[in-house]
Amino acid sequence: MKILRKTLFRLLFIIPLIGFTSNLKAQSDPTGESPATRTYAITNATIVQAPGKLMEEGTIVITDGLITAVGKNINIPATAEVIDGTDMFIYSGFIDGMSNTGAERPANPERPDNLFTPDPPNYYAGITPENQVIEQIKVDENSIEAMRKVGFTISHTVPYGRMLPGSGALILLRDADHPDKLILSEGSSLYSQFSGAPGAYPGNTLGIMAKFRDLYKNAELSKNHSELYASNPEGIARPTRDRVSEAFYPVIEKKQPIFYNASNSLEARRAMRLQKELGFNLVLGNLQEGWDLADEIKSTNTKVFMSLELPKEPKNSKEEDKSDEVKRLEERRMEFYKKYVSQYAELQKAGIKFGFSSIDARSSQLKDNLLTIIEHGLSEDQVLAALTTNSAELLGISKIAGTLDEGKIGNLIISKGPYFEKKSQIKYVFVDGEKHEYDVKDGSKVKEGDETPATNLDAILGAWNYEFTTPQGTQTGKFIFTNESDILSGTMTSSDGTPDTDLQNISFLNGELSFDFSIDAGGQSVDIVVVGVVDGNNYEAEASVAAFNFTFPIQATKDEA
Amino acid sequence: MRLINMIKLSSFLMLFLCTSVLQAQTKKGDVLIKNGTVITITDGTLENTDVLVRNGKIDRIGKNLKAPNGVEEVDATGKFVMPGIIDAHSHIAGTSINEGTSQVTAEVSMEDVVDPLDVGIYRALAGGVTSIHLMHGSANVIGGQNETLKLRWGSTNPEDLRFEGAPRTIKFALGENPTRGGRSRGIQPQSRMGVEAMLRNTFNDAIKYRDAWNAYRSNKSSRKVAPEYSLRMETMVDILEGEVLVHCHSYRADEIYMLMKVFSDFGIEKLTFQHANEAYKVAPELAEFGASASVFSDWWAYKLEVYYSTAYNAAILTENGVTTSINSDSGELIRHLFHEAAKTQKYGDLSDNEALALITLNPAKQLGIDNRVGSLEKGKDADIAIFDNHPLSIYAVPQMTFVDGVKYFDIENDAADQRIYIDPESTVEDVQILYSNDHDRCMEGANVVNFTDLFNNK
Amino acid sequence: MKKFISILSVLVLLPLFAVAQNDGGIVRADNSKFALTNAKIYTVTNGVIENGTIIINNGIIEAVGADINIPGDAQVIDYSGQEIYPGMIDSGTRLGLSEIGSISEANDFREFGEITPNMQALTAVNPNSVAIPVTRVSGVTSTLTMPAGGPLPGTAATISLFGYTPDQMFAGSKGVVMNFPSTAQRGWRRRTPEQIEKAREKAQETINDAFDKAELYAKIKESDDARYYPEMEALAKVVNGEVLLYIEVNSAKDILSALEWVEERGYENVVLTGVAEGWRVAEEIAEAGLPVITGPVLSTPTRGSDAYDTAYKNPGLMQKAGIKVALRTMDTENSRNLPYNAGFAATYGMGREEALKAITINAAEIMGVGDQLGSIEVGKKANIFVSTGDPFQTSTKILDVFIDGYKIPMTSRHTELYDEFLNRTPGVNKNPTKVDG
Repeated sequence: MKILRKTLFRLLFIIPLIGFTSNLKAQSDPTGESPATRTYAITNATIVQAPGKLMEEGTIVITDGLITAVGKNINIPATAEVIDGTDMFIYSGFIDGMSNTGAERPANPERPDNLFTPDPPNYYAGITPENQVIEQIKVDENSIEAMRKVGFTISHTVPYGRMLPGSGALILLRDADHPDKLILSEGSSLYSQFSGAPGAYPGNTLGIMAKFRDLYKNAELSKNHSELYASNPEGIARPTRDRVSEAFYPVIEKKQPIFYNASNSLEARRAMRLQKELGFNLVLGNLQEGWDLADEIKSTNTKVFMSLELPKEPKNSKEEDKSDEVKRLEERRMEFYKKYVSQYAELQKAGIKFGFSSIDARSSQLKDNLLTIIEHGLSEDQVLAALTTNSAELLGISKIAGTLDEGKIGNLIISKGPYFEKKSQIKYVFVDGEKHEYDVKDGSKVKEGDETPATNLDAILGAWNYEFTTPQGTQTGKFIFTNESDILSGTMTSSDGTPDTDLQNISFLNGELSFDFSIDAGGQSVDIVVVGVVDGNNYEAEASVAAFNFTFPIQATKDEA
Repeated sequence: MRLINMIKLSSFLMLFLCTSVLQAQTKKGDVLIKNGTVITITDGTLENTDVLVRNGKIDRIGKNLKAPNGVEEVDATGKFVMPGIIDAHSHIAGTSINEGTSQVTAEVSMEDVVDPLDVGIYRALAGGVTSIHLMHGSANVIGGQNETLKLRWGSTNPEDLRFEGAPRTIKFALGENPTRGGRSRGIQPQSRMGVEAMLRNTFNDAIKYRDAWNAYRSNKSSRKVAPEYSLRMETMVDILEGEVLVHCHSYRADEIYMLMKVFSDFGIEKLTFQHANEAYKVAPELAEFGASASVFSDWWAYKLEVYYSTAYNAAILTENGVTTSINSDSGELIRHLFHEAAKTQKYGDLSDNEALALITLNPAKQLGIDNRVGSLEKGKDADIAIFDNHPLSIYAVPQMTFVDGVKYFDIENDAADQRIYIDPESTVEDVQILYSNDHDRCMEGANVVNFTDLFNNK
Repeated sequence: MKKFISILSVLVLLPLFAVAQNDGGIVRADNSKFALTNAKIYTVTNGVIENGTIIINNGIIEAVGADINIPGDAQVIDYSGQEIYPGMIDSGTRLGLSEIGSISEANDFREFGEITPNMQALTAVNPNSVAIPVTRVSGVTSTLTMPAGGPLPGTAATISLFGYTPDQMFAGSKGVVMNFPSTAQRGWRRRTPEQIEKAREKAQETINDAFDKAELYAKIKESDDARYYPEMEALAKVVNGEVLLYIEVNSAKDILSALEWVEERGYENVVLTGVAEGWRVAEEIAEAGLPVITGPVLSTPTRGSDAYDTAYKNPGLMQKAGIKVALRTMDTENSRNLPYNAGFAATYGMGREEALKAITINAAEIMGVGDQLGSIEVGKKANIFVSTGDPFQTSTKILDVFIDGYKIPMTSRHTELYDEFLNRTPGVNKNPTKVDG
């Protein structure tokens, strides 16, 4: 008996070393980075447990990733790190309904030799619904920190890609050493966009709509076939493994919704039309032009995540003697700006409970945009609901997230001052019970975040390694930008020996870099215009060839040399 | 009737009315157009005549009609009242025109890309146009399905523009456009021989598909497995069964002739040739087959296949008994189709009625909507255009345009800025200068440049 | 027997002989002395002559009036019930420089390079272009044929549509074409205001540089050491007022910039072309005293916020502000639609009389050949057409056209195809007597 006990005792030490479930990891940490405790108590704060449910001078306790107590007179555990919450406001961590946060954009698929454009391989056509976003998740992606910093704790991350990039997953915006540790739940959605294949079928909306119908119908048939074969294979032709169709099975069974990136009203309508025809559960993410769609959204039972991106407010001219025409045109333009910013309140009034999607928005603009939305009719509580409880409900995670209640996941935002005040700043964000602390300047000045889009030319000066693919093949080389006597100029070199070309009309404003160059194509001069966004060391652009109505993507990375 | 039953009945009626109002989404109007010169197209031109419209339909055409209670009167004294103009070949009101990546794309449809926000729609109304045939581009041998629309300007919902009940139609293309596409992609077809082969091959594939599915459907077993589904082949089968009208972009006489032979072989009877600049060379054959043509008034020489054209095309075809219409294929030309039709009196000797039929009854026939529009007759839709001069006169200015009896254009109430969507980030004075003739919108987005040349600097 | 055969062969061949008198089926241009009688003559500069006669000889109009002595050796043509007008002038086309639009080998209006004012459109005109007869049988007898391309694409020339060499067609006026730097969007391209301004600045610099050089070159080019600089040679002609300067400019803002530029530079003989938004700055243009060539009238508005008929109204509004306006189609093979462009301009505010002037005398005067073309006056070139009525109406037929005193054959590819195919022989059945099995 003693030996058995001894063996068991020894086993207790051996077994944990096999898996990486590291609750029993070695407790010594020479980096000193791991926290001293996994229990936190924030005291004497205004706790917004749910929209409209305030608790003043309250205390909240988080232990091992969960909220273990919320109240006014709480016993604070001995192991807790206590944070004085005086003048602080605590909110449930924000939930992002649809974004690419945490995912790294993969390289563009290489164009196969002898590409048969009417029927390209699925990966080239962008038809990869069987892919899972986890394959793209990188724990050190900048976007995770950027979104967490502004209060987001859970993101429904969808993969990059074209028409059917794959399935999305709910991830926690926490630190981790392996992507698996970020996953809250997988297969939350089948993601779809109106994004065509480069120069192959389906190339644009026309082909995408038809192809979608085709894929769906064939998935239904394939499912029937597989089920029939599984119940009794005798005399039935063997079904061939078809991963694309299989990816649709949970959708057909209504267990998984399709999330559409519906960035304009026509795209939203197209998605709803497909829903009416085929019957799947539809979620519209990134809805930017929803003001006419309330009835249709309700009649199709569509769920909605509104975009957090707003257009810039138009500036009217300051001239003294504006013509009547200019006055009228400015009025009309302002009218449309108002439509964008008031649509949130309008849809709310029409009875649509929506969440938010950050996929097209810049994290540095989010708070300002929310404040603008409040200015135009949506109440603070309603905005908070869209950020927390509505999103949780729409994503099916109300049981564990969205409010600050005992038993829910330890996702908190602790803000110095009420979040919806312009000058207030977020001091702490807890994700999965882990503390993240941010510098907050005392005084009235709001700190300019590093997210402010760079207009500083230093961001682009130097050499960039570019790559793009055309029917001719993949071309690589460098874009070199220099700033001599205040004149911005650039050159394009090619690694295949093509002579250098000057870049013209170079413009760099608010993170957007654009330029033109001309090339000699068999004696004819062809203009190519490149427009794109600089994000740190990455440049994502689209090149358009004037006379031929043709575009192709260009990617470039800054030379660290 | 007892009060309680009356209440029940009226609430039931209210409910019924509400649901039917929700379903009848298209606006329908009433109006009495008085004392104009009414050009009916099918029943002569009637002077000092009234047209009464009720609930979007032409109720009566006659003299001294009285307006029922609440019906607005329009004084058309000295004015000319004709059926709304129908453009059988248009690319306005669409966000994409070509799915040019494949040479056979019967499965795609313009109904998915209708854009009700295009200001071109209003400008067409200002030219007396009430219906258009929004067509797929001409990059592919077998292109996408087209969509017949009514120009109900002002809505942001594409569904509101749909011409309910219009037959399905599809775009085919022969000649230089698809062969250029084939050459730039390194696939078939690269010659007119290849175009014919592609047509025959696709129809044969469709027959095979139909057989396989018929076999499946008539199989009584509960353990049958369905063949692969293809929206493309489904559409091709529908064409074979005569359920989808084919409109084929074509120019050369030999390819027009070729298509009629192919259609004969496959038993397809209805066919309209679009552009068909050389149709006049095979007018007798067209008349014999029963094919129609929808042509330009005078465009030519912009490509080799239209070099041997004549502006007398429409006149020759009409004189030889071919149902002919004149189309615009242009957001600019659509605004003065009445002037384009009038050119058949310069290039030919068509009568006033023959010329006007080219933009009313004839395109209606080609689109299969002549039971609804194309002439002013009792029972037809109240799609009406009013001019201050005879529409074939150069001095004619369109005054009002009605669709389903609702006035969508009135020159007295024509505000300059008609946009229903404005980008808040746009500049107020957004000037756009187009330098080249918009001839081939048909090829828009078709990616047919040969890039091997483009990047080969050596 | 032999005699019989030869008589027989003559009889058989007789029809051919008859045809041979017509030169084997070709109708040739005829420059006899003509008397065109009994027509309603629209002289454009001297009113309408109800029942008039025109005497044409040696390429010019020798006499015109109601009571004219008809020379005995003149070929008299009775045009009772018809109307006679000066030949129409299209002030902007590529007619002769482009045969088939989509085939680059068939297009000769665009040369490589930014500064190429020395490129002569006239030399590259193809006198035998199929589109030329097609155009002139509709009454358009002269055109301003223009090059296209960069800021200074070349020298345009006025040609009359009859002749077998470009020199035979040349109608006496040349002008350097300049594309003024544009701040407008070009169709598909969506540039930001900053990008547009940058491009505009650069283009303005290019043009200013070129003209600065040209001004210097104009002074030094006569000296022996002067280099051969063909581009500057061409521009020097503008500086010296020897040729016209056609400035293509369209948006309101750009037109105002162009007016400023012209004043700064002090060049004479400047003509604004395009001028799509001229109506917005009509007062300024009128004050500057510059003439305008505008069109096509059948265009869509320049702005999404503009009324649908803005382009139709443009010429009329400018003319009412006191500007001399000429119209153009800016087309190649459909320059024949010039009268309909004028018709729409007339209907939408210009009025018939002014619209007619815009395609006849105004055009001629603007091009500096107002003493030779543009109206029916004694001493002017005999460029006229005869019609069954108002040439703006599509139901009007053009019966005859005279260019440089030649009576032009009223045939073109289009009419020939009409003649052949109206009643095709054979019809559907090639051998009607053969019965198919």
